[in-house]
Amino acid sequence: MKQDDCADVGGSNCDEALERLYEYLDSELDQATTEGIRAHLDDCGYCSGSFDFEKRLKVVVRERLSEEVPQQFIVRLRNALDQETSQI
Amino acid sequence: MADQATFADDAMEFAPQLYTAAMRMTRNPADAEDLVQETFLKAYRAYAGFEAGTNLKAWLYRILTNTYINKYRKDSRRPKEVDLGEVEDLYLYRRIGSEESAEVSRTTEDRVLDGLVESDIKRAVESLPENFRLPVLLADLEGLSYQEIADILEIPIGTVMSRLHRGRKAMQKALWEFASNRGLVPEGAERP
Repeated sequence: MKQDDCADVGGSNCDEALERLYEYLDSELDQATTEGIRAHLDDCGYCSGSFDFEKRLKVVVRERLSEEVPQQFIVRLRNALDQETSQI
Repeated sequence: MADQATFADDAMEFAPQLYTAAMRMTRNPADAEDLVQETFLKAYRAYAGFEAGTNLKAWLYRILTNTYINKYRKDSRRPKEVDLGEVEDLYLYRRIGSEESAEVSRTTEDRVLDGLVESDIKRAVESLPENFRLPVLLADLEGLSYQEIADILEIPIGTVMSRLHRGRKAMQKALWEFASNRGLVPEGAERP
């Protein structure tokens, strides 16, 4: 069982880490807090498993949301800007 | 001050990214193209007021988002701020994580992450109410900082964080449905 990896499951360290999960993954935390969480992840199999999954999901979401921009549209956009420029 | 003559050279590299964001906002290619074109023309006209050397990408996103909010919302009146029901933390992970060994769980994780196709992810994002969808797009698609998102959407940073958090969890709930429907998760994997 995954949770057996963590002696502190449900303990305050896990709660604190989970609370800051997204800030951690979004690189929004100061260095000291980041290091504190990293140290907890080194010790806690459950949290490191869940953080790792969320991190992978974030990459998957980003990659699979992208759209191929139609080349014709890029041409149209350039033309629109050229036209705007020539009006001045 | 930025030089208007260099606008196209400076800004065109962001066109593909802005187009992707516009697609997820408007949900259709014709409106997305119009939205991006309008954004570029507005940005061009305002470029003299842009402070060269500051964050051009965030500035363009601000114009894109404002244009979207002002123009496309008018078509269907201003939607009221929708709330999302409570979704637990780690929604997807907790359901995928089996009672089996970590190795088996990892295989299930891989199967789910590999098996969710583009249309699943797009539908999951597009299903979010707008007040959650925009922060999620700006963070997950564009990688903008919480402060940049707060500035663009003109909401406090704490609100950005809570909407991102809740929007992402709601997305996971939708993804879980798609993964289940595709048979990507083992029978009885769902845990309370």
